[in-house]
Amino acid sequence: MRRDLLALTAVLSASVSANSISAQTLAQRVDAVRDGRVLMAFQARPGVCGGSNGSIWTRESWKSSSWNQNDCLTGPVRVSLGRAEGTTISVRVFVGGVWRATAGETDIGVIPPAEAAHYLAGVAHSIGGRSGSDAVSAVALADAPDVSPDLVSVVRDVNAPLDARKQALFWAGNTALSTRDLVQLYDGLGPFSLREHFVFVVSQRRDDTAVDKLIDVATRDADLEIRKRAMYWLGQTQDPRAVKFLRDLVTR
Amino acid sequence: MTLRTSLVIAAAAVVTSTPLSAQSLASRVVASDGIVQVLYPSRPTACGDGKGFISNLFGSHYVFSGNATGQGGNSWSTQVCLRGPARVVATVMNGEVTRARAYVGPVPPSASDVRTISVPAAEASAWLGDVIARGSARAASDMLLPFILADGPEPWALLLKVARDENRPRDLKRNVMMWLSNGVSEHLGLSDADEPSNDDEEMRKQAIYVLTQRPKNESVPQLIELAKSLKHPASRRTAIYWLGQSGDPRAVDVYAELLGLR
Repeated sequence: MRRDLLALTAVLSASVSANSISAQTLAQRVDAVRDGRVLMAFQARPGVCGGSNGSIWTRESWKSSSWNQNDCLTGPVRVSLGRAEGTTISVRVFVGGVWRATAGETDIGVIPPAEAAHYLAGVAHSIGGRSGSDAVSAVALADAPDVSPDLVSVVRDVNAPLDARKQALFWAGNTALSTRDLVQLYDGLGPFSLREHFVFVVSQRRDDTAVDKLIDVATRDADLEIRKRAMYWLGQTQDPRAVKFLRDLVTR
Repeated sequence: MTLRTSLVIAAAAVVTSTPLSAQSLASRVVASDGIVQVLYPSRPTACGDGKGFISNLFGSHYVFSGNATGQGGNSWSTQVCLRGPARVVATVMNGEVTRARAYVGPVPPSASDVRTISVPAAEASAWLGDVIARGSARAASDMLLPFILADGPEPWALLLKVARDENRPRDLKRNVMMWLSNGVSEHLGLSDADEPSNDDEEMRKQAIYVLTQRPKNESVPQLIELAKSLKHPASRRTAIYWLGQSGDPRAVDVYAELLGLR
């Protein structure tokens, strides 16, 4: 009995250790590179492809484009992390092709998509500009079960760079995150550009909850310009309540 | 009746439907190629600097320039605005007016090769109206402001006619509707209604614009109703303007109704 208990404890410990090693491995492997570039790859979610010019397309963007899909290569998401003095200073994302590491580059191979997404979301909390946007995009492109918690976490982080939060907001709107959860993000969005982006992202949902929120923002946001933008996107919906709202606003 | 006879009769009908005063002024204007300026009395309210700045045509807030047509008044508030004749400076090429620009106020000295013709307002109106009704799209559009500037009969009846004319170019008719919207607002006493000065007015203005972006079967009836009965003057003026820019033929009828014309 005691031996069995010890064995079970050992198995559980091993399992926990394996998990934590696995969780730490990616961070540790990246951190092991003080200066240079770390290259990684992971499986892209279905419908993602990359153009030869570095562009990245998703199934949703294909629909709204006349762009030739035949030029788009499916393949892994490839991420390059620039490292300087032990810190990640840049992130670039690509789709398709393979890495061929050169001097100064460390290819850490293929990473499980969920693990890569979670790690890169962590990076996005603290890196700005295009790097922040690319880190978030990489999260959104990963073939992971549900990346919305990671994206929401970046959106909600008031200390995260604006570019990353904005990109995370965009991609959160494209995940399975419910519109109800999506609209709740609004209350934490202080900067003008985030609230401006929010009304666009919500307007793409085109359901009752989204229309209700746009009406709410058009009515209550403290900033006139945000209210006007919410009204603009409201006008782009097919919902009859939008016209009624506009008309009531003009005539009251 | 032979085809030749028919053509002669048709040509005669065209000539006789053009006012004699318009014919004589038109023929004087295009008598030789080059620059010609036509001077005539301007509306009593209009003023300008003689160089392209024109104000007080429709209420005190409207300002028009020779180079660009603007609206507002703030940035122009320090501009000299003097009463004086209206002046059309037209370019004539190959016996045809190809472009024209309007001025009001002091007449600056002109170069020796610029011909000057002074005429009564009615004669100028007849000529300008004829160009608007029959001339090339460019010349007709250029003549809209000079036509409205003339201290002659109200210009709206002719502009309504052009707006309804299926043979006139769409761009010209869009310009005509823009000027008609000013005329309607002036007629209704809305010209001097203040621009949005608070958030509610700004939102109303934006809401009207957003409505114009809806499908026409939705937006035009809404705009018609707002143009006819909206209680907020500045917003009503906005609705009147956007109704005209919709390109919908019903807008012309609404303008006519609001102007008390048919």
